Amino acid sequence: MKFNWFHLMPYRWLPEDFRERYHGVWVDLPNSLYDPGRGHTLYNEYLDMLEYADQLGFDAIGVNEHHQNGYGLMPSPNLMAAALARRTSKAMILVLGNSIALYNPPTRVAEEFAMLDVLSGGRLIAGFPVGTPMDVNFCYGQNPVTLRDKYREAHDLILKAWQEREPFAWNGKYTKLRYVNLWPQPIQKPRPPIWIPGTGSIETWDFCAERGYNYSYLSFSGYKRARKVLAGYWERMAALGKEANPYSCTFFQQVCISDTDEACEREWWPHVDYFFNKCLHLYPGMMGPPGYMTEASIRAGVVAQAGNTSLNMGMNKSWKELTEGGYIIAGSPATVRQQIEELARSLRCGHLGVALHIGSAPMELTNRSTYLFATEVLPHVRSIWNEWEDHWWPKALPADKREQPGSHNAAVQARAERPKEVSA
Amino acid sequence: MSDTPRSVLLDLGANRPTIEVLEGGEGPPLLFLHGAGGIAAWEGALPLLSRDYHVYAPLLPGFGQSTGLEYIEDQLDLFLHGFDVMEALNIDRPYVVGESLGGWMAAEMAALRPEHIGRLALAAPVGLWRDEAPVADLFGNMLHELARYLFHDLNCAAAQRMLSMTQLFSNKDDRTQEQIETIIGMSRGFRTVAKFLFPIPENGLERRLWRIKAPTLVVWGEQDRFISPVYAEIFREKIERAQVVTIPNSGHLIGLESPEPYAAALLSWGREEPS
Repeated sequence: MKFNWFHLMPYRWLPEDFRERYHGVWVDLPNSLYDPGRGHTLYNEYLDMLEYADQLGFDAIGVNEHHQNGYGLMPSPNLMAAALARRTSKAMILVLGNSIALYNPPTRVAEEFAMLDVLSGGRLIAGFPVGTPMDVNFCYGQNPVTLRDKYREAHDLILKAWQEREPFAWNGKYTKLRYVNLWPQPIQKPRPPIWIPGTGSIETWDFCAERGYNYSYLSFSGYKRARKVLAGYWERMAALGKEANPYSCTFFQQVCISDTDEACEREWWPHVDYFFNKCLHLYPGMMGPPGYMTEASIRAGVVAQAGNTSLNMGMNKSWKELTEGGYIIAGSPATVRQQIEELARSLRCGHLGVALHIGSAPMELTNRSTYLFATEVLPHVRSIWNEWEDHWWPKALPADKREQPGSHNAAVQARAERPKEVSA
Repeated sequence: MSDTPRSVLLDLGANRPTIEVLEGGEGPPLLFLHGAGGIAAWEGALPLLSRDYHVYAPLLPGFGQSTGLEYIEDQLDLFLHGFDVMEALNIDRPYVVGESLGGWMAAEMAALRPEHIGRLALAAPVGLWRDEAPVADLFGNMLHELARYLFHDLNCAAAQRMLSMTQLFSNKDDRTQEQIETIIGMSRGFRTVAKFLFPIPENGLERRLWRIKAPTLVVWGEQDRFISPVYAEIFREKIERAQVVTIPNSGHLIGLESPEPYAAALLSWGREEPS
């Protein structure tokens, strides 16, 4: 089993009366609440956390894309991935991902992902989300009715751009390009692994199965509530004749660890409370614009259009309810280890994104949690699913072939800084 | 006057939509283009107009029994589709009454083929934009919030009916099959609207308004909080000889809130000699 240390990068200083005063955490939250000075420290702390996870041996470090969002400060995850590519060399880099229908032309994503793959020595995992309605429809103005069609076209164009070795013309409905000719090309052949985040629609499962992509089930409700959805995923894979390889599936779980269960509640509750009760203050009127969901998905009752309020993402819950309900896995290393095993076996996921930073958690608390996970949990759970081959993992250059940042300066420093030659 | 319209299905041909048309009354043709809510019942101005006119009210794909949204890719397709329906109904130079979304469509059609529209009434049409008077967001609000934009009097029957729909979006899984079908039906119609009006219902109509030749009446609810009545003045300025009628004590859905004075204005405009 593989573990990626995943960051949402929330803003940590939403006011006490945030829920009473503001419509929601996303789209129309006034940016007067954002202090760029604090933001400077925050970005650097957050990147440090991800770099620390690399040092401690997590298999991957992960970033994602949100817009106009108080709990996700990465409108451009590629910038963060670029910074990480230079400061890390072991962990794979999961960008989950770029909402490809937003980019005009979508070859921009093909280019930037190729740059990241080359820069990182083939460590990129390329995520292609459709994107949330808040991000793609309300912040980026995409038409919800044509969004999925545009997404498919962008996907096809990016894949072709990565694979063609001669310039080609692309006469699409949404993108028309006379000359597509990608420089640079990704290191990974035939392409970087592609992971598709989703929230449980059959169309996305089929899309992944047909093309050999990893399905990443994103939820803030935790592993116990995910069983039903992922049982549906595995049933669908069986119906499509796909092998039940756990590595085709990723799940995300918020995790916090302290020395003891009691210390965990004391240390983490304020930050968990901040996440579930401030960061998830979402406005239902923007969660389902008409056409975003297919009729089949609405009928399946996944979510009703135009104002569903049954999100049940863990708001107004106590520590006890959140931990017992599996919204968070929290406690001593032993408690967490046991629940991670239960999560893996019950969901059959080979990849787990662990959100070890939650809400308003500060640096030391987060790194302590990361350290305890790496030293007391990881060694015990890594062997789960060892009998399966992971076809959804980067084919990076061998570690000794990857460039070390700064090594080229060091190699030439003495010669470059030699005394001036004095002509005779 | 008949309160039960006839329903006719128009097959527009292969790879084109199939359209349900509600018809009522006898007389010269009046083409009624509905707003974003479709036509839930033969109500509002419709029964009143059908006293003097043969009213044809086609439903856009996604509404009623109309299907085939996939054949209407963009706005030009939509306006040409309007003419396809007129041709299939065999009506020439009708009096076109359009409400909100339908008003925008009517104005665009009249600008595209001015000689094919006999007379025009635009009831609080979308299609224009001023930063200082933004049109409310039809797609980013919950129903009970939308009602506040659409009605002047939230106690009127139509507003209460809309507010009662919010119960469909309960946080429990206790909806009946009929309620689920209602939600699906609403989402299907709303999808059609979003295809053409998301995220901002403006796509250059203003620079085409001068092309309209039909005698044009612009009707606005005085308390319209969805689209400010300031837009009525822009339509009046840009369409030659257009006139504006304001309906007092009425919000955006004039037909549902003030059917009598509204229908009276439309009928009176129909009797005007072309100037």
